Amino acid sequence: MQELVGRITALDPEASETLKVITYFDALVGAGAGIDALLRAAATLSGVTAGLEHRDRIRRRDASGRQVDGDPVVTSPARDVPGGRVWLERGDIHVVADEMVVERFALAVTVTLARHEPDAALEIVIDRDRPRADRVASLARLRLDASSRVRIAALPPDHDEPGSVLLAGHAGVLRGLLLDSTREAPARGGISPWVRADLLPEGWEAATLALRLTGPAHPVVDAGELGSLLLAVGAFDPSAPPEDVTTLAGLDPRSRDVLDALVNTDSLRGASAALGMHHSTVQARHEALTRDLGYDPRSPLGRARYLTAELLLRLVAP
Amino acid sequence: MAETLPRPPFDPELEAVLAVLAEALPPAITPEMIPVLRQGLPGAIPIDELLAEAGVERVDHVIPGYGAADIEVSVLRRIGSTGVGPGVFHTHGGGMIIGDRFTGIGQILPWIVEHGAVAVTVEYRLAPEFPDPYPIEDCYAGLVWTAENAHELGIDPERLIIAGASAGGGLAAGTALLARDRQGPALAGQVLIYPMLDDRDETVSTAQVNGVGVWDRTSNITGWSALLGDRRGTADVSIYAAPARATDLSGLPPAFIDCGSVEVFRDEDVAYATALWHAGTQAELHVWPGGFHGFDQMAPQSAIGQAMVAARDAWVARLLSQ
Repeated sequence: MQELVGRITALDPEASETLKVITYFDALVGAGAGIDALLRAAATLSGVTAGLEHRDRIRRRDASGRQVDGDPVVTSPARDVPGGRVWLERGDIHVVADEMVVERFALAVTVTLARHEPDAALEIVIDRDRPRADRVASLARLRLDASSRVRIAALPPDHDEPGSVLLAGHAGVLRGLLLDSTREAPARGGISPWVRADLLPEGWEAATLALRLTGPAHPVVDAGELGSLLLAVGAFDPSAPPEDVTTLAGLDPRSRDVLDALVNTDSLRGASAALGMHHSTVQARHEALTRDLGYDPRSPLGRARYLTAELLLRLVAP
Repeated sequence: MAETLPRPPFDPELEAVLAVLAEALPPAITPEMIPVLRQGLPGAIPIDELLAEAGVERVDHVIPGYGAADIEVSVLRRIGSTGVGPGVFHTHGGGMIIGDRFTGIGQILPWIVEHGAVAVTVEYRLAPEFPDPYPIEDCYAGLVWTAENAHELGIDPERLIIAGASAGGGLAAGTALLARDRQGPALAGQVLIYPMLDDRDETVSTAQVNGVGVWDRTSNITGWSALLGDRRGTADVSIYAAPARATDLSGLPPAFIDCGSVEVFRDEDVAYATALWHAGTQAELHVWPGGFHGFDQMAPQSAIGQAMVAARDAWVARLLSQ
């Protein structure tokens, strides 16, 4: 059936097929594949032999997935991983796609190696597929009781906040950071509501959802502030957005600003001041936007529809 | 997802491949997708390039197929090889509805290169335009032509095997049954690679692989319906079209059968191997854990994909080097 769907092949050397690389490595790590599978993935995607040196042991695989013995002649591009280094055996030629491959390869190796380290506790306590007893045992290693109140933040994998740990799961590879009353929220990320420590899998899911809502305008999103809106976010399928979302997406940036001011100020006068526009202009825009949207964004229900649609649109927009 | 039953998990490495390839095609193939699928994939390596790279040359022949209509076969051999070697008669895969005689040819190229085999691959006519018995009878006609011309082709008639994957595996099994029942060409072995054997849609594995993986239950119903039309699942289906229906598997050549544990064909393939043993016929069976349909071709770099190919090639090597 290879003729039907193809196979994983080497990337186009001049194109950066970012999504394919991320999807592949995240799926490998999420499924619990081993180090050799990651080596094979890096080699297959790049089309050259990939290697790992970890605690003085070298492992190499070629692009057809076979083991390669001996020492490598070239080991670049390379990345450091805890206790060692990973590389592609490309040499001096610069290939655009290599950077992304070696980056995600290193990340996946780091997560996989960490699974065998004693500090894998955080990954266990957020894993909904683990029995509660396992999670509670790992909580103890984090000096937490099952009934402790905690929050957890989900950060992008490249956001190396002190104390954060790379985690792999249903949401792909991310960083997790436990927050207590003494620890300030990070500058970028999604934050869970306060939860009992033995309910951290739910907390982590909320944090990862909140992370997806972040962007330049909203670098930190606190799931605790969203309340039941989080349910709508969790149930949303970005590939089939409802009309409220597509309508909003179709507006130009200036209209979006006007809309934002209309919803977030108490009066038309307040909105005019915030926008630096004449009162009558804002009133006309308000009427036009009410027609475009099919609802009045200043009515109580209209505000709710707009705010929900705006949240969901963040999941659609690149 | 139409998934209803628990099923074995996919192998982690294969699951990741599925995640990437899922965008290319949904698990369920329906009849209206057939024309698009027949166009093939953009960027596929042209066949002559693939053959040249492997060191294999090709000669095409037009031969009489079912009803004496013209069909094509290609004879493949090591470039410049002369003399006599073992023969491989190949029936390609593609769910009875798509593909051509070079589909999956990569699976038999190592046998040509390493054992000096001469392969004949047949362009049988496809359903639904040419429903049963066209495909199986075209295959049988190709086998008869191969055996009758063995001397000219440089094939040792004592070492002629049949091989096919997926629908081609079902056609290979059916062709072997026809050869037995018509006292046709003698076969030294049958390589049934995740063969499609059963039109009845009654196994646990077909219920388990529904809306997931590769060539799921819906796809399989699409393929069989194209081949058999209203006869699918009725008493009016021959053992040659659906070899799982055969009750007597005695007098057949030794079989090699492999499949994945997460594919529609798992149960019918295991049952066929069991029925062969019950009939006193030799068979080797491999069920690769966590494998989806065709994983050796879609994920050849994976540990389990390499293991599947190695086990199959080793069986062929033992048989052909005798």
